[in-house]
Amino acid sequence: MSSPTLTAGVYDRTPPVWRGPGALGRYFDLLHTLVTRAIKQRYKRSILGFAWTMLNPLITMVILTVVFSRVFGGLVPNYPLFVIIGLLAWNLFSLGSTQGLASIVDSGSLIRKVAVPKEMFPLAAVGANLVNFLLSLVPLLFVLVFMRVGITWAVLWVPYGVLLIGLFTLGVALALGTMNVFFRDVRYFYEAGLLAWFYGTPIFYPIDVLSERARAVLQWNPLYVLVEVFRTPIYAGVAPSAGTIVTATVEAIAMAILGWLIFRRYHTRFVDFI
Amino acid sequence: MRYDLQRERVISVREYAIRRLRGERFPTQTMWPIRDVSFTVQAGETFGIVGRNGAGKSTLLKVIAGIVPPTLGRVQVRGQLSPLLELGAGFDTELTGRENVQLYGTLLGLRRKHLRERIDAIADFAEVTPFIDVPLKNYSSGMIARLAFAIATDADPDILIVDEVLSVGDAPFQRKCEERLARFRARGVTVLLVTHSLTLLKETCTRALLLDPDAPIVIGSAADIAERYAARTGG
Repeated sequence: MSSPTLTAGVYDRTPPVWRGPGALGRYFDLLHTLVTRAIKQRYKRSILGFAWTMLNPLITMVILTVVFSRVFGGLVPNYPLFVIIGLLAWNLFSLGSTQGLASIVDSGSLIRKVAVPKEMFPLAAVGANLVNFLLSLVPLLFVLVFMRVGITWAVLWVPYGVLLIGLFTLGVALALGTMNVFFRDVRYFYEAGLLAWFYGTPIFYPIDVLSERARAVLQWNPLYVLVEVFRTPIYAGVAPSAGTIVTATVEAIAMAILGWLIFRRYHTRFVDFI
Repeated sequence: MRYDLQRERVISVREYAIRRLRGERFPTQTMWPIRDVSFTVQAGETFGIVGRNGAGKSTLLKVIAGIVPPTLGRVQVRGQLSPLLELGAGFDTELTGRENVQLYGTLLGLRRKHLRERIDAIADFAEVTPFIDVPLKNYSSGMIARLAFAIATDADPDILIVDEVLSVGDAPFQRKCEERLARFRARGVTVLLVTHSLTLLKETCTRALLLDPDAPIVIGSAADIAERYAARTGG
């Protein structure tokens, strides 16, 4: 048997298991377990299993290409590539944030019965979507090869873009997940709002098609720059502009901090409302 | 520890907005399932907690285990605490026994590596070795309870919180549980024991606490508390 870690403490919130020496390792082990479970659950009883992670963006890409290539194809070279890169970034954000949002309420029985750090559930939801996202880079590679688009050193920006999208997603999940505990409507509002957000983000259309006014409005959509940090290095083969990188970094970190503050402010009251 | 009764209800944004517009105030009827409860348990002691249903025993344990934050006051814990409360609350019936050992174990704060090494011993103690790779939904409720007990007591804790879980499984398994608890006590593990069995209380506990919603709490020797409790319940 492993020797017990002695943890002494006065607490009214975090029990000693999740604080003090050795807590970090336990924390990551639980996160690892929850992420694995989420991934297993998603593909249970599907014949193609993990292949869906790769097929899904390809199918959506084909549909969007068939529908829109007439309209935007002339403006955007390699239109399918443009679309799939944006889609992957969007899916990471939209799936991670909706699942993360719901995860706190969905884990209600656990939160009421086990002394577990509650941020673990949104973290695991976003983590599971990050893993899925990494798998979905495989079809992206196919498209790159198929369209004979090479990659450049700029691609080194990609992990940074993914990190920023992940942070932003986590912030949204923590903030809205907290609100959802008190008002269950938040989830439905958000799910409806996401559709508008998708159309308001240049995923399947280039920003150039928008009017001056629309573009000015779009500046306020934080996802626009976040998607750009991920898309530009792959699609255009150049580093994103300094302005884009700075804006995206500030937005992602600000959202993560905001989400964390909201969550910390209310998390001890979850147990009464779930 | 205070409960806000109004808090127990989930209301919608719409309802909230309407009530606000009407200028209605939210009724805050409060109740305190437990209040003004202060006690210290010495290391190595087996401490009993008795009281009638609804006296706040489980709430008290949840506060100590860190599941529910106290409204007022604080809890001081020295050492690794292993709560045998709500056994199997983290189980996922779609996953296999082995996967659930991993899941429930990490939820309790055990390391993955430790659980991988201990899986055979855990399955063996729970008497589910042949079924360890079968989804939990095919287990009987007794098997699930045994597996939960086996994981939770595998933690090698300094402090054990036991809430009536000795009623898990059939008679031979209950004996095994009692043996394991006796071994823990012999090793100097501190035990907080909630029970309705006055025999068990007198046999195992050194001191005890009597919870009663209508009276101040009483702390005393196990024999004394058993007597008072019997008197109050008319037993």
